Amino acid sequence: MIDKENNIFDTVKNYYNDYGFRAKDLKREGKKFIGYVCSFVPLEIITASGSLPFRVRGNIHEPITKGDTLLETIVCPYYRSVFDLSVKGEYDFLSGLVIPHGCDSMVRSFSAWSYGLPFSYFHFVNIPSVCDESSFEFFDAELDAFRKSLGKFTGKAITEEHLRQAIRAYNENRDKVRALYELRKADPPLISGTELTMTLTAGSSLPIEESNDLFDQVLTEVKGRGKSPLKKGPRIFIDGACLDNIELIKLVEELGGNVVADTICNGARDHFPKTDVGGDPIHALAHRYLDKINCPKTYRANRAGTFEGDIANRFGDVGTYAREFRVDGAILYVYKYCDPFGFEVPARKAYYQSLNLPLLHLEDIYSAGTISQLRTRVQAFLEMIGQ
Amino acid sequence: MAEEQKEAKPKKRMTATKAAASIGPMVKEFITGTLQAKAEGKQKVAYTFIVCHHEEIFRALDVIPVWTENFAGICGAKRDAERFLQRAESLGLSRSLCTYALCGIGFDQWREELGQMPPEAPWGGQVRPDFMISSGQILCDPRSKWYQASQQFMPDVPIYNIDLPYPLFQENRDHREALGYYHQYIVKQLRGLVAFLEEQTKKKMNYDRLRELVDLSDRTWNLIDETYKLRRAAPCPMGTGDAMNTMVPINFMMATQKAYDFFVDLKKELEEKIAKGEGEVENEKYRLMWGGGLPAWYALNDFNYFNSKGASFPVETTYRMVAPLHEMDIPETKDPIEHLAWRWLGYWTFWYDKAKKRPGSEPDVERLINWIEEYKIDGVVMHEAFSCRTWHVGLIWQLHQLAKIYKPIPVYMIGKDGQKGKVYRELPSLILESDIIDITSYSEVDTRNKIDAFVETLESIRANRAT
Repeated sequence: MIDKENNIFDTVKNYYNDYGFRAKDLKREGKKFIGYVCSFVPLEIITASGSLPFRVRGNIHEPITKGDTLLETIVCPYYRSVFDLSVKGEYDFLSGLVIPHGCDSMVRSFSAWSYGLPFSYFHFVNIPSVCDESSFEFFDAELDAFRKSLGKFTGKAITEEHLRQAIRAYNENRDKVRALYELRKADPPLISGTELTMTLTAGSSLPIEESNDLFDQVLTEVKGRGKSPLKKGPRIFIDGACLDNIELIKLVEELGGNVVADTICNGARDHFPKTDVGGDPIHALAHRYLDKINCPKTYRANRAGTFEGDIANRFGDVGTYAREFRVDGAILYVYKYCDPFGFEVPARKAYYQSLNLPLLHLEDIYSAGTISQLRTRVQAFLEMIGQ
Repeated sequence: MAEEQKEAKPKKRMTATKAAASIGPMVKEFITGTLQAKAEGKQKVAYTFIVCHHEEIFRALDVIPVWTENFAGICGAKRDAERFLQRAESLGLSRSLCTYALCGIGFDQWREELGQMPPEAPWGGQVRPDFMISSGQILCDPRSKWYQASQQFMPDVPIYNIDLPYPLFQENRDHREALGYYHQYIVKQLRGLVAFLEEQTKKKMNYDRLRELVDLSDRTWNLIDETYKLRRAAPCPMGTGDAMNTMVPINFMMATQKAYDFFVDLKKELEEKIAKGEGEVENEKYRLMWGGGLPAWYALNDFNYFNSKGASFPVETTYRMVAPLHEMDIPETKDPIEHLAWRWLGYWTFWYDKAKKRPGSEPDVERLINWIEEYKIDGVVMHEAFSCRTWHVGLIWQLHQLAKIYKPIPVYMIGKDGQKGKVYRELPSLILESDIIDITSYSEVDTRNKIDAFVETLESIRANRAT
């Protein structure tokens, strides 16, 4: 439970460092947690079933050992770490796991997960690769199948009203995240990137009501601050996939940068888009998860007819955030073996150039072993844009 | 540029069949044919990917498919991919990504920069397309990213992306419950492709012609199945080395009479070889399965090396992208588009029911088990290509699962207590590691040392079995 007596960031740190301890407590009370990987899993459906979603994460400090006996080393290194922790029993308190069609690494390893882990429930959610009328129809049906499958597992029929309640709770959560991001607009920002990522990571291990409560307290704490925890420095944007650990952001901030915005899965990509209310909830969820989550995995047709127009459409969120958060430079952080992001690097570089925004492109392997190399490159980059 | 140096030419691989030997010139003719067609301007040429079940639609509208994976494979086989890979890297693309795509993007960027083909482009080079048809499937992320990346260098070339999913195997879920909405979606996606091609070609689809082409493909599918099943014979008349050639008509020439005729001839040739007792290997000692992974195109000679040790490959999972249609649950329909969508789903779910019946099995594992039995396999060889997650993630797990549930060779042993007991020996397996076209990842010495050690294991099993 949240300790309201102490500084809320002590609680956040506890949740972050001992990831999953609250879930283990609740499991003892009879709650069912359903694990998930990737931003494409509709958490509202899990919550509506009476279960609690729990984002499984990796650990850059933990050497990958057991996982490599079952899964090739050519998969996404982040995903490899998550798999390794899972087969080592780190997440054995989960009752089930949901994997979406987020990338080849997820699809091709689904059997290794579902046959090798001791969970009673597994489900694969297929995500279309395009956004058009027929793909939304398909995705409606796919999400409805997930709703029925999970309802069968939990023994609770998931009604539209259950879904609407869950949608409201998650939209509220996203409003709070947005409010946290607003606090980054100050110069220097009132909340550091390290604190924010730690908070969002902690939130993804909690029931939605507790996550909302935690975010409220963080908001109160930060708003009440007299001054920023950071010194004024270059305002940095982080662009990339899932960054569920604080190490890179902490490094940037230790070296004098201020991380003020991002597109990462555990940040704006996942937390900014809200679900429409008022209509069919499954359809609204399909629209949110397929269209509003801006992931390179989804093919977005070039409607502009020019390269410049195409990248402005595909990466427009980056430009919007860069202006809104008055960014001085960006770090494009891509995992090795990540095809969806990897193939976009030249186009993203061109887009940053069109914004006149200095860019540092880092390819990394989700391991603490590379921190010193990253330090050198980040330091040089900050010096360059600080001049 | 130093990177524009070409590698030394590889030695030509020896083929067992005349049919396989005929493939090289056929591919060359195809590549040069696309260049000629573009120059003449009578037909549209389009970049696209294999295994999308859309060839019939292309051919019915006289669109020439340019198989970009094929061209990258040719660059690899000719040991001339490195200069294109390095060009892609210089654009910011990581070497860890699909090297077919890197080779293609590097080539495209170079061609567009020069306004002509790069110097000494393999077989005249890859033609500039009129449009590109990419595909998002349940597998292969690069398929929807590659052309998008290439479009940066040719922004006037439009892309149409078709989505072709299939229900992933889930042990506790009946895939039939989902087939209805999957089918509906695929039909709509294929109709979208027809509309796009009609717009590009300014032609209307002739559905009678399409139906004929679909029928031709269906007949070719069944013929390929019958032909490849002849390889069950001992000695095996044709191995995987040859199948890496005969994959060309399966994957690049489907829906053509030429592909059908090719397999008529191959079937006849195999029947004749079987009648004469001619095998791929003169003295067949071991029968191996190529159980997963795309080949290292620059090192196909390794198959000859296996052969030199008395090992033959009667079957492979790679590029056998057909299954017997009469064993699939395909509903009757007169609409060729609907049929294509059912065939697509039938192919991908082909092993699901069988897998469910065997505890611990899974479709890819089930296919291994079935073919181990049918083709009397002594060992499994796989290839892990570092740059491709699509076909290479999951192979280790499949072998692990295979070892768990399939113990085919009972061996009677006398224990310490003097009691006779039955133990089961696992099927030996070998995983080779390199890449599809990136030769820098390959070591011939290491590979052959691994093969030698594997053959020694096979020999020791054979000797034990004999005693």
